[in-house]
Amino acid sequence: MLTRLSKPLGRRATESEVEEELRFHIELLTRDYMRQGMSRQEAADASLKRFGDIGSVRKECVEIRRRSRRLLRALKFFLAVILLAGVLIRVLSADFRVAKIGEMLIAVAVLSRLLLHARGLRPSNYPSKKRHTFAGGGY
Amino acid sequence: MANARTDLLQGTLELLILKTLAREPMHGYGIVQRIHEAAEDSLKVEDGSLYPALYRMEERGWVTSEWGPSENNRRAKFYKLTRRGRKQLEEERANWERVSQAITKILQTA
Repeated sequence: MLTRLSKPLGRRATESEVEEELRFHIELLTRDYMRQGMSRQEAADASLKRFGDIGSVRKECVEIRRRSRRLLRALKFFLAVILLAGVLIRVLSADFRVAKIGEMLIAVAVLSRLLLHARGLRPSNYPSKKRHTFAGGGY
Repeated sequence: MANARTDLLQGTLELLILKTLAREPMHGYGIVQRIHEAAEDSLKVEDGSLYPALYRMEERGWVTSEWGPSENNRRAKFYKLTRRGRKQLEEERANWERVSQAITKILQTA
């Protein structure tokens, strides 16, 4: 319990996101096997066999996602430092040319942050309102 | 030797995923089903191997993912090919054709 509580929120969110995705897959696979005439237990066993080592898949996915988020956080921190430096230079400098450099730093930081957002470099666990369709059946 | 084999399989799986997603956004289960259908079940793809591949592809910017309701209103994660992913598909397809042609030539002459 204490270990669970002490885990960073982002890590728990990543783990539960991966867990939900893999569980969805196995449930659909089990349902398909049951449609083919297997009992629930047979279908569940067959699904797990076809899926492979779920523990190592889960671990690998969490690690990849955490690595991406770490990189993203580092990039955001770097841009925040540039922004802060730009603001400080702009506010504190009496020299017009140095103040211009501050403004340029602010512009670079803000534009880079907007570009990051536009390219979808953000955590993916925001539910969308639009409905997706899949031609393969009622999944 | 074992590493080389894994790399080849991984690269091949990524090509198959890119090609499958070129048609429409899909969730992981849909992608595997579509690959099985297209290959007429002659290709053995372990379902679990799909997810680390998808996560790596998202990390590289080839696909994006978004949670949304599936057709039975269950929450599912849908993957969509990006512009960079489409470019990668063309490159990987061309590379695959080059490699397979080269191997075919070797098999015919050896």
